[in-house]
Amino acid sequence: MEAKLQDINHIFQKFQVEYARNSFDNCNNLLSQLKVKLTELPGLPPLFKPSPTAAQELVLARDILEHAVVLSVKMEDQDAFERHFLQLKSYYTDTRGLVPPSEQEYPILGLNLLRLLVQNRIAEFHTELELLPPEAHENACIKHAVELEQSFMEGAYNRVLSARQAVPHETYVYFMDLLAKTVRDEIAGCSEKAYDSLSVTDAKKILMFSSDWELQEYVSEDHPSWEIRGSSVYFQKVKDLAPCKEIPSLQLINQTLGYARELERIV
Amino acid sequence: MGLDVEMKTAEPAAAPSPLIHLKAAIALIEKGVAKKEMRLMARAIRQMLAVRRRLKASTVSSFLNYALPSGSEALSRLLGFVAKVELGDASMEVDTPPSMAQSSQLSYKQSVLPELESFSYLLVIIFLIDQKHLEDAKVCSSAAIKRLQQFNRRTLDVLAARLYFYYSLSYERTDSLADIRGTLLALHRTATLRHDELGQETLLNLLLRNYLHYNLYDQAEKLRSKTLRSDSHSNQQLCRYLYYLGKIRTIQLEYTDAKECLLQAARKAPSSARGFRIQCTKWAAIVRLLLGEIPERTTFMQQGMRKALLPYFELTNAVRIGDLELFRAVADKNASVFYADKTHNLIVRLRHNVIRTGLRNISISYSRISLRDVASKLHLDSATAVADAESIVTKAIRDGGIDASVDHSKGWMQSKETGDIYSTQEPQQAFHSRIAFCLNTHNEAVKALRFPPDAHKKELESAEKRRERQQQELELAKHIAEEDDDEF
Repeated sequence: MEAKLQDINHIFQKFQVEYARNSFDNCNNLLSQLKVKLTELPGLPPLFKPSPTAAQELVLARDILEHAVVLSVKMEDQDAFERHFLQLKSYYTDTRGLVPPSEQEYPILGLNLLRLLVQNRIAEFHTELELLPPEAHENACIKHAVELEQSFMEGAYNRVLSARQAVPHETYVYFMDLLAKTVRDEIAGCSEKAYDSLSVTDAKKILMFSSDWELQEYVSEDHPSWEIRGSSVYFQKVKDLAPCKEIPSLQLINQTLGYARELERIV
Repeated sequence: MGLDVEMKTAEPAAAPSPLIHLKAAIALIEKGVAKKEMRLMARAIRQMLAVRRRLKASTVSSFLNYALPSGSEALSRLLGFVAKVELGDASMEVDTPPSMAQSSQLSYKQSVLPELESFSYLLVIIFLIDQKHLEDAKVCSSAAIKRLQQFNRRTLDVLAARLYFYYSLSYERTDSLADIRGTLLALHRTATLRHDELGQETLLNLLLRNYLHYNLYDQAEKLRSKTLRSDSHSNQQLCRYLYYLGKIRTIQLEYTDAKECLLQAARKAPSSARGFRIQCTKWAAIVRLLLGEIPERTTFMQQGMRKALLPYFELTNAVRIGDLELFRAVADKNASVFYADKTHNLIVRLRHNVIRTGLRNISISYSRISLRDVASKLHLDSATAVADAESIVTKAIRDGGIDASVDHSKGWMQSKETGDIYSTQEPQQAFHSRIAFCLNTHNEAVKALRFPPDAHKKELESAEKRRERQQQELELAKHIAEEDDDEF
């Protein structure tokens, strides 16, 4: 067991060197080697076999996975992030009594919350949030994500965007950039309903574009129903809830027949 | 979870001594086994629960000696537990325990029904839990579950379900619920294979409770959605299931479903289950607030719940007025309550509803208002308050919270004229949903009626008789006719 651990440690050191140099391809190769090696350790989930080196194994595996998660953010690969995070999560939840908690725990959990927010998976966001103990909410990384969600739900998009300047961790920037795109789509959706028309200058400002050309591009690609005429953008309103003029006869007949049938059964 | 979900209907204690009641329960069980009638088992358990508060160590041990064959393993083990309790409060004992010689004479018979053995286990476990000997209860219930797994008898199902419940309860009281998750899952699997529906139902609820105890909503939902549920056999289990489902749905932001589940759970729960109903009402109140509804004042004024619901009442008030300052003050003041109820994260979500309500009030009162005034009325105090207000208003419009439009260049919000609701189909739909609800309630009530078995057969016989009689009459008529012919 000692030999195996040393072997893994050795590869992991190489990995860290490459990681510091930001050469992602090499990192990826080493990471796959590491992951194969990890399967040979019996102290890891789901076996949790007690042994003198179990704690050491757990810490090492957790460390490797934490690096893997951050690496996938750096490589901007959301699927890999999800995979690695799910693997890592069981180390956070199931090894509480076995090894001391990791320093990286809250930053990574916060990162995951942010990812769920970006992907608009709000239900999962809240499920994850329930798992956190109350003291975790004091942590800057978690707080950041929670406040973002709140501003997002309220519609205070300015606050979401300005939060980019105050990221608690460098890895958060990637997701914050993605979030900016999500926010723009949201704003566009809201503006469509709330305004009849906007001047091009205002529209640019609201939708965070620097040039007219970008705005035109966006409108033609994502919102073909909008119209730019002169110096204004006009939103086509979908008419809804018009007072009903005719009687929905078929539906009424169905309902009435249903009542008759039920009443028959009662009497 | 601090909440007592036990929902035993406490029957008024009768005068005769507990031992007589327990012996009567034995008779019921034996009859139940012979006739394969589940209801008798349930009645036996109810009879035991009725005397639960008056149980003494001496009563329990003499019952055990009566019910179980002397020298059997179960007897010696169970007596051991009871003896421990007895030692604990020996000073309080007044009754003299029956001597061994006498009890062995009394011993019922040599080989005992598994049902009776389970019943004895159940009695001892309940007794141990009531006497706060929780560690012993844990050991005893584990032994009972082990023993149960050796049998495969349908007549055991009712008792087994109860045993599972107390098994889980004893682990919950000692805060080691995570340890039994594997066992519960195995039991659930077995129950499913054997079509033990009551067992499945009970175990599913226990598992959900187990997961939710550790906030594992994800796992709970996965288990729940992958489990086949047949129609409920027990109202209590149905209530619990609805409550857990409501909680899961709340966390997943499916408020409409959640509201329905929680309200139904609160409505179906027996009136003696006060703790359970309070908990349901709390959650239902929050869910309704999150939906943008305001629960009625009477919800918080129910008999015996007023004090427990006070924090939620204050919260509702703050949301109703739409005052962010007041809301924050209430949330801070009652933070400890909300943490204990695990509703704190939901309260955080509510902030957004407070703003929404405030905005709605503004939009109703003013036909046109500048965004600056909106910001100051909502207490938005940031550097970009007006821009914030604008984006909040636009989002509210998109989500259908208010019916208005915004003029960006002039910086105001213009409310639209509210149309005549009676010109739309809305009233018709509301009316329909109410009628559907009433009809459904009636149908459910009919379904829930219980008919004594074989009652319809009597009528069948009489029909047969009638046919016989008719035939006789027919023959008689023929006879007469023939006679008539003869005479002719």
